[in-house]
Amino acid sequence: MLQIKDMKKSFGKNEVVKGISFSIEKGESFGLLGPNGAGKSTTISMICGLLPVDAGEIVVAGKSVKTDPMNVKKKIGVVPQDIALYPTMSAKDNLIFWGKMYGLTGSQAKKRGAEVLEYVGLTERAKDKIETFSGGMKRRINIGAALMHKPELLIMDEPTVGIDPQSRNHILETVKKLNQEGMTVIYTSHYMEEVDYLCERIGIVDHGRMIALGTKQELCNRLTSGTVITLELNEVTSEFVTLVNDLPFVEQVVTKNETVEIFVTDANLAIGETVSKAVTSGLAVQSVHVREPNLESLFLQLTGRSLRD
Amino acid sequence: MKCFTIAWKDLNLRLKDRKGFLMMILMPLILTAILGAALSGVMGGDEKLPITTVGVVLQDRDELAKTFVEEVLKSKDVNEFIKVRSVSSEEKARQLLKEEKMDAAIVIPAKWNEHLKDGRLKELTLLTDPGKSLQASIVESITTSFIDKVVTLAVSSKVVMEQLAASTPAMTGKLDMGQAATEIAGKLQVQKKTWESTVSETPIGKRSVSSSQYYAAAMAAMFLLYNITIGAKSLLNERETETLARLMSTPTSRMQIVFGKFLGTFYFAVVQFTVFTITTHFAFHIDWGKNIVQTATVGLVYSFAVAGLSMLIAVLIKQEKTADLISGIGIQISAVLGGSMLPLSVFPNIMQKMANITPNKWVLTSFIDIMSGTTWNALVLPITVLLMIGVISLSIGSAKFKLQ
Repeated sequence: MLQIKDMKKSFGKNEVVKGISFSIEKGESFGLLGPNGAGKSTTISMICGLLPVDAGEIVVAGKSVKTDPMNVKKKIGVVPQDIALYPTMSAKDNLIFWGKMYGLTGSQAKKRGAEVLEYVGLTERAKDKIETFSGGMKRRINIGAALMHKPELLIMDEPTVGIDPQSRNHILETVKKLNQEGMTVIYTSHYMEEVDYLCERIGIVDHGRMIALGTKQELCNRLTSGTVITLELNEVTSEFVTLVNDLPFVEQVVTKNETVEIFVTDANLAIGETVSKAVTSGLAVQSVHVREPNLESLFLQLTGRSLRD
Repeated sequence: MKCFTIAWKDLNLRLKDRKGFLMMILMPLILTAILGAALSGVMGGDEKLPITTVGVVLQDRDELAKTFVEEVLKSKDVNEFIKVRSVSSEEKARQLLKEEKMDAAIVIPAKWNEHLKDGRLKELTLLTDPGKSLQASIVESITTSFIDKVVTLAVSSKVVMEQLAASTPAMTGKLDMGQAATEIAGKLQVQKKTWESTVSETPIGKRSVSSSQYYAAAMAAMFLLYNITIGAKSLLNERETETLARLMSTPTSRMQIVFGKFLGTFYFAVVQFTVFTITTHFAFHIDWGKNIVQTATVGLVYSFAVAGLSMLIAVLIKQEKTADLISGIGIQISAVLGGSMLPLSVFPNIMQKMANITPNKWVLTSFIDIMSGTTWNALVLPITVLLMIGVISLSIGSAKFKLQ
């Protein structure tokens, strides 16, 4: 469905995307992860044809974005991060408008609009203006607008930002259902659990490069450390970090404010030793957490940053 | 065509925007009513001229003086506002003026037309009340107009007769000079009948329109101008709210998007103009001229020009705040310079020339021309200028249009 080869993009002298390559099979659900400024949005904008690529090639359903952008756009549905709807228009009118923009006729757009409203669970609010909707409902219509033309590839850029858990669950269920019905999905999010729930394969982007790519299991297997210990201290000193780093069973130490994430190969030995080093350094230990490694851990290990940084 | 879908969407959004509706439709109607009523005494047109009692002192039974009094001052065209009163002497006339029993007096000397064959008339005396300048200027205008015509006709007939007399047919007796003189005299009589129509009513500038008509045209010109910023803001807003990015992610070409946004502004301007002209016509009895096709054409090309300018402004500025600033300052300057606040005729020549850079000047003068009756030929220049403004602005706007 999607093939990207050595895609590059610069803004002036700032190279934002530095040769990303990956491909997605038809019907696959793909998670694209990366901290802010990693190049995710630029990558998505180039796939959608909103930004021209400087180098490389993007092919969607056999059509090149560079040479046949209109046909590519017909196959893609984009759910932007922001609510890209007209607030003073009703939900139904918004959907009909976007349907027409995707090439549906008036009657087709009306029919499909009703179906989409049903799909996102907002039929009873069809005639209400978007500005009267809650954040979650707006998000659902925002997704609905991208579904009007039944796209082959649905690209969702953080579609659940700032919404209530109920709407979030509804959106996740909707996306899961769409994927199960055969729609190819690219999903970017700051919420690792969403990607974990929805996506079969995951790509992690940082500093304009794809630093990890594979299935969840493949990525977790890349983790060299068996366990992650999280220490919450009154403060974090460089002396303490150096002491911990020197321990033989410690793979990596990542700090954030008063929290230290320690990737270790032997949790039993590490807990006592790391707490002891903290006390020796004159630090007060507020809490200790031990957990199995997951995507979040991998992300932290690969980028040195947490996903929401 | 997706551009029509975009335009229709924009039109609907604007029509449903109450604040915008008040600003763009109701405000010009209210201002037209206020300005038209407040300045009705200053301007001519439909407004009635003050009734002016004119005393006439005839110092003998001169034929020309009799013609002036009977066929001009007492003619049915002016007798609605000119009342003639015979006065026996100049002294008596002065006294009556002082007592405010008359507004002006004309003292016609004896043998007034004695030197007419030399192309001049004896000087008559016009007595006026300084406190009644409007009445004085009306009487002076009528009198001067009559004298000018008489002198012109006398001089031209004298020249024609001299030329004829010196011509070969006359010398050889082939031309009957008596018959020729009679024919010329007949033609001059026809000319005489048009004297009355040369009396003007102190109109605004050079055209005879009422203040209500003028300000209706001026408000239409000014408030349609606001479509420049409204149209530009609409595109900027689409950019800020990411709907523009979404539009560009659909299989819709850049040109269709730009043209759709342009058409949306054009549609609204046309609706605004149509509602305004119809409402002012029926509610305020504004006469927009006999030729409705001319009015509609000028309204359409002006809408085209402002819609084009909105696209130009949209690509030149980055933020809605800047558009508001342009709206606050730029349009007000254009409105003043283009004659929407005060008639252009009160401005110095340099400002009248500068007004040519404002689109509202072209549309305002066109409307005024149409109101007072004009030919299509006279409208070719303003229509061309407005079309060019629209085409050039839209072309630059389309060429420079970007997502960010």
